[in-house]
Amino acid sequence: MSGKKVLSVLLAGALLLPTLGMLAGCKQEEVTVLKVYNWEEYIDEGGEGSYVYDLLEEEGMEPEKEDAPPIIEDFEKWYEEVYGEKVKVSYSTFGTNEDMYNELKLGNVYDLLCPSDYMIMKLANETKEDGSPYLEKYDKSFFDPDYEVNGEKVNYYIQNVSPFIREKFETNAGLDTPESEPRWSEYAAGYMWGTTGFVYNPEHVKIEDLEQLGWQTFTDQRFRKKITAKDNVRDTYFAALGVTFEEELKAYRARFLDGSITQEEYTKAVTAIFNATDEETISKVEPRLMDIKENIYSFETDTGKADMINGTIDLNYAWSGDAVYALDEAETPDYDKNGEPIEGTELLLDYFVPEAGTNLFFDGWVMMKDVVERGTKKAAQAFVNYMSMPESAKRNSYYIGYTSVIAGANGEMLDYADWLYGGEEEIEENFYDLSYFFPARADGEPVGIYADEEQRTCRQLYAQFPPEEVISRCAVMDYYRKDASERINELWSRVKAEVLDAWAIAVICIAVVAIALFTVFVKFGGKIDLFRPKPKKGYHKVG
Amino acid sequence: MKIPRFSRKTLCIPYGVFLVFFVLVPMLVILFYAFTDSAMHPSFENFIKFFSDLTKLSTIGYSLVIALVTTVVALLIAYPVAYILARSNIKKKYIVLMLFVLPMWINFVLRVNALRELFNLLAQADGLEMIASSNYFKTIFGMVYDFLPFMILPLYTTMMKIDRSLYEASADLGGSGFTTFTRVTLPLSMPGIMSGVTMVFLPSMTNYVVSDMLGNAKVTIIGKFIYDYFGNDWHMGSMIALVLLVVVFLSTWLTGGFKAEENVRGTNL
Repeated sequence: MSGKKVLSVLLAGALLLPTLGMLAGCKQEEVTVLKVYNWEEYIDEGGEGSYVYDLLEEEGMEPEKEDAPPIIEDFEKWYEEVYGEKVKVSYSTFGTNEDMYNELKLGNVYDLLCPSDYMIMKLANETKEDGSPYLEKYDKSFFDPDYEVNGEKVNYYIQNVSPFIREKFETNAGLDTPESEPRWSEYAAGYMWGTTGFVYNPEHVKIEDLEQLGWQTFTDQRFRKKITAKDNVRDTYFAALGVTFEEELKAYRARFLDGSITQEEYTKAVTAIFNATDEETISKVEPRLMDIKENIYSFETDTGKADMINGTIDLNYAWSGDAVYALDEAETPDYDKNGEPIEGTELLLDYFVPEAGTNLFFDGWVMMKDVVERGTKKAAQAFVNYMSMPESAKRNSYYIGYTSVIAGANGEMLDYADWLYGGEEEIEENFYDLSYFFPARADGEPVGIYADEEQRTCRQLYAQFPPEEVISRCAVMDYYRKDASERINELWSRVKAEVLDAWAIAVICIAVVAIALFTVFVKFGGKIDLFRPKPKKGYHKVG
Repeated sequence: MKIPRFSRKTLCIPYGVFLVFFVLVPMLVILFYAFTDSAMHPSFENFIKFFSDLTKLSTIGYSLVIALVTTVVALLIAYPVAYILARSNIKKKYIVLMLFVLPMWINFVLRVNALRELFNLLAQADGLEMIASSNYFKTIFGMVYDFLPFMILPLYTTMMKIDRSLYEASADLGGSGFTTFTRVTLPLSMPGIMSGVTMVFLPSMTNYVVSDMLGNAKVTIIGKFIYDYFGNDWHMGSMIALVLLVVVFLSTWLTGGFKAEENVRGTNL
């Protein structure tokens, strides 16, 4: 055992002391405890505002909180019914991929995790201190759509996942992954996905300006102190790459559009640009990052939505799921005492993706190696399958705003999208094609929905189910290999810190030393009396 | 039935255990990480890197300046308040005192959030937008607001302890108000100033909740810096934490924080 491991165990032990009693209590009843570690606010938690609750309300009933339980409770019931065993989900959450990774490094054990694309790759390629891998592969049977447990075809994931997602997971979404490294699909089953883009207030920001500016929106003086960036290096470095290499990106796009390069070549080029971490790139990006810092209102992680809604800012660089959430929230008016909407309290926000391309991300469920020893692998895979039922996918997606990887074997999720955003006259110009994501319909109807122009170009539908054209110009994030990670971290610290001039540091140092010397002087009996009046003429100081 | 009797030693065990696990061990872990590289081999690499990198030195200097300004402003506000309160004859002083402590009963994040919204409102008013949208101003304001009670209380308790006859003696000997202040009040309230300063200065170097929420995460103090490093590089993060620890230790030692007889910090809290 290395020194680090011993320390980690000691620390972890100290932190876990209080919970030991609880765990021991659980074991006696022979309940499997499934430890799920997911993003904050990334699952249906039931109650008011949940899918089940709102459906009941739409049907004219007056639902109670208990009528719409959290989805985890429903999973526990379902598992007992189908598998005949009890499971208790111990659910905890993290705020960033890096936080989650640190927890694992400390030696904490979970059964199921929900990292993003690049973190899946990092975990799949790295080993723990003792050389054992972090992740466990899914069973072969998990990918058999006809596999049955007690008469129920339980492999909902493979039955319902979108062919688009399957393809991305099997090919690492066009990343230049070395042959020796695993594909996502070996270790991960998808959960949510999306793009990044700008949420903007169309009353203050013209779409024409955005289209013309693209990534330069971040540094444009017109939006000075009215735009936000993310307070993490991955997303903001990505954006800065967009700002720096916009011309190159656009040139590739032009060549793709006129047919001189294929989609594959185009994706490869865009992905390479958005994942560059060499010294030369960094030296080009750094001044742009400084410009961004200078121009933005704030670096934020979760205050952007609120600042957008209350009008502090006009543009918020956001993940599409958060964008949908913000758009939903803003368009809901406030209500007065009588339950009547107050006029003028609703706000229509829009979503915009730069033409030069943006980030495409996937979050997926991975199992830690420890599931084998803990005997929780079956329950973990069952959890993923339960979350992949079209009904569950609707519930989660409705609650959090993100897009589920589930398409539904019979187009259930397409109907859901139609229910949310569709309803326009069924004429060709209203048609929004989603055939890249959803499987062909049994009745041969075209795959897509009829929606109004706003939904098709800048509102929730566009954010939640981006058209294939948007996907075509996106890049997925790769994980940073060893040296790159350090270079990028140092870059980020230079951007975040206020780098003072050498003379300023010298002045501060001198001041600090002076104060210290003064204090030491006073401490060891020296006397300095600033206020002692001088003796008047004729008087003499005595003693 | 015999009543179990605990010796003093036994009573110390809970705190002893706490001390070992939550103070001693973590410090050793920080020390260990600070002087190892990513392969866990002993190394002075981080040490050298820290002191040769302008960014990190700047951040330390910058945090010192922010903490210093916060402390001075807090002292300038708190001292007169404590002085007036300690010397006045109003009944029910504790009510006034309680008003100063009252905000601490409300969740800190909630208060900072409220302050943030308040500044957002002010920023829309004419003439105030310059101030209300300056991240530095807001950060300092938030820090002062947050730490003011920690300055007032030790000052107040020390001043309450000053014997009133000393003021009378000063007046008897012909001392003016100003002389009385500089030769009686100020020297005798020094212990209070020292502990107030320590209690404000040190936390305001690391309280990055304030700089994130009010400074819009564009003001980076040393606490945030350590947090950022711990996302990816524990070794450098630990080294910065260690340097901070040394700074804290030195300033506590210098301001006499380790002397038991002058220990007035936290009184009445």
